[in-house]
Amino acid sequence: MGALVEVDGIHVRYGDLVALRDVSLSVAEGEVVCIIGPNGAGKSTALTAIAGGVAPYAGDIRVGGVSVLGLRPEQVARLGLSLVPEGRHIFGTLTVEENLRIGGYIQGDRAAAKADMERLLALFPRLAERLRYPAGRLSGGEQQMLAVARAVMTRPRLLLVDEPSLGLAPRIIDQIYEILLDLRQRAALTLLINEQSSNRILKHADRIYVLRGGRVQLEGPAADLRDGEAIRHAYFGFGEAPVAPLDAPA
Amino acid sequence: MGHFLLRHQTPMLLAVLLVLIAGATSLSSNEALQVTLTEMFIRVIVVVGLYVFIGNSGIISFGHIGFMCIGAYAAAWATAEPSFKQIMLSGLPAFLQEHQYPFLVATAGALLLAMAVAFVLGLAIMRLSGTAASIATFAFLIIVNSVYSNWDSLTAGVSSIIGIPTVVGSFTAYAFAALAILVAYLFQISRFGLMLRASRDDEVAARASAVKIMRVRLAAFVLSAGLVGIGGGLYAQFLGILTVDPFYLNLSFITIAMLVVGGMASLSGAVVGVVAVTAIVEILRLFERGVPIGGASLGLPQGSQEIGLGIVMALILIFRPNGLSRGREFAHFAGAPLPAPSTAAPVAPPASAPAARPEGIPITDERKAIV
Repeated sequence: MGALVEVDGIHVRYGDLVALRDVSLSVAEGEVVCIIGPNGAGKSTALTAIAGGVAPYAGDIRVGGVSVLGLRPEQVARLGLSLVPEGRHIFGTLTVEENLRIGGYIQGDRAAAKADMERLLALFPRLAERLRYPAGRLSGGEQQMLAVARAVMTRPRLLLVDEPSLGLAPRIIDQIYEILLDLRQRAALTLLINEQSSNRILKHADRIYVLRGGRVQLEGPAADLRDGEAIRHAYFGFGEAPVAPLDAPA
Repeated sequence: MGHFLLRHQTPMLLAVLLVLIAGATSLSSNEALQVTLTEMFIRVIVVVGLYVFIGNSGIISFGHIGFMCIGAYAAAWATAEPSFKQIMLSGLPAFLQEHQYPFLVATAGALLLAMAVAFVLGLAIMRLSGTAASIATFAFLIIVNSVYSNWDSLTAGVSSIIGIPTVVGSFTAYAFAALAILVAYLFQISRFGLMLRASRDDEVAARASAVKIMRVRLAAFVLSAGLVGIGGGLYAQFLGILTVDPFYLNLSFITIAMLVVGGMASLSGAVVGVVAVTAIVEILRLFERGVPIGGASLGLPQGSQEIGLGIVMALILIFRPNGLSRGREFAHFAGAPLPAPSTAAPVAPPASAPAARPEGIPITDERKAIV
């Protein structure tokens, strides 16, 4: 079980604002790893940094043992890391089919991309029904599914999913998780998922990192953390009040 | 085969539209109308060229008329009388100074020079986005204008280049307009076009999908400059006399206005915009000259053409913010139809912005289980 991604003590800041301090984490081939933490904990920054969207000023990020620091997002994507950005970034004026086709361009092989799309659409009947619709007209849940499907079209080894549940009804969130876990089986995917709340995640994840104030507060196998007490401490800090600590970036 | 034609009906419909306009104007033997028609076809080439970059990338360029200037002068250098060139354009290399090239060679020269300049410029500015890129293109327009106004030995400076054979009539201009439409269409449905429109909709997601934004933008920029350069080359060989003056702010803004009025997100919009704005201008011009009513002639005051055009364009944009085409393509013949829209989904104009982050709007309607 070799580590697919190793994040080794990275520090990230936006101007004067420190978003991540000395964050280390690793994801092994085939795992489902989850980062949870309150708003502003640095979860999105961690995922964005892995995907090449923001450069750490210290530390290293390795994919398959090779440093990816300095690579641009489109280059990281070619290494098999596919980011589903927070907030359903889809191509709104393009049709559903065109959105998916763009994901498939990464493979030189047109026929293979087409076959991938057909297999994928079997998992997303809602998208299959709306292939020729402008993606901007889909509902929020459908857009999130499209963003996931498009990312899978790049045939990633690791799917980085940033808050898939954001702004969606619980019912839709469940469907999205079902699909993600199903894809993990079918496409031999490794998953690294960000979430704000831990309930759903504890059921599905192999390992969990709790991030707060830009630091890893807690990590461990999900099975060991199910009672929730340790997570609550890590998530909220040792004060009882459920408020983000002062040093957390807004 | 029939299916193929249906799928790709847009460029053909646009070409037919232009033929119909040409046919309608040929009913009148008015000489001036033929000139207007030729000029309109040349503008179709320029605005379609503009669309290839602006429409697909979402970045407004104020600089493309600079490429038209470059194309026009390239054609003039190739085709003007050698005797004139030897006296007035002493800085030209011998192969241009001593020979006179045929129309197609000159036009190819206009294309290649515009593309070469666009490539170099694009390398520098295509990494910019939004307003910064637009201002950079504007700076380019100013640079081209002052270089061509002042480089006497190549451009005859503020005096004009004369003796360019006027071989471009409405038929030639039409042929190139149709060609420009075809090229723009092929680009739009190509991988590059699709990736570029994806980056226009959402840069973050495009990068995450491994789209090399800088590269696809540069490709569109060079191609669009090439089309605009051809427009310039034809314009020079239509006028016969060339000065720098027409290739500046007025033409920049009128061509961008044509694109915006037609709808910048579609090729149909680019073509329709040229036709509509040209028609409005011609009608207003007619009224400015005076319409005979009975014995008297009723005329609008001088300048009402510009004011009228401004008002009409404002009205169009108030009632159709996405332009006359609403950013969609012509499709008269039903091709493969859209799936039946779910409950009363109206044919809304395409979302002007991709749904960014509809936080806190839960989806509440009942849906079938997805998996």
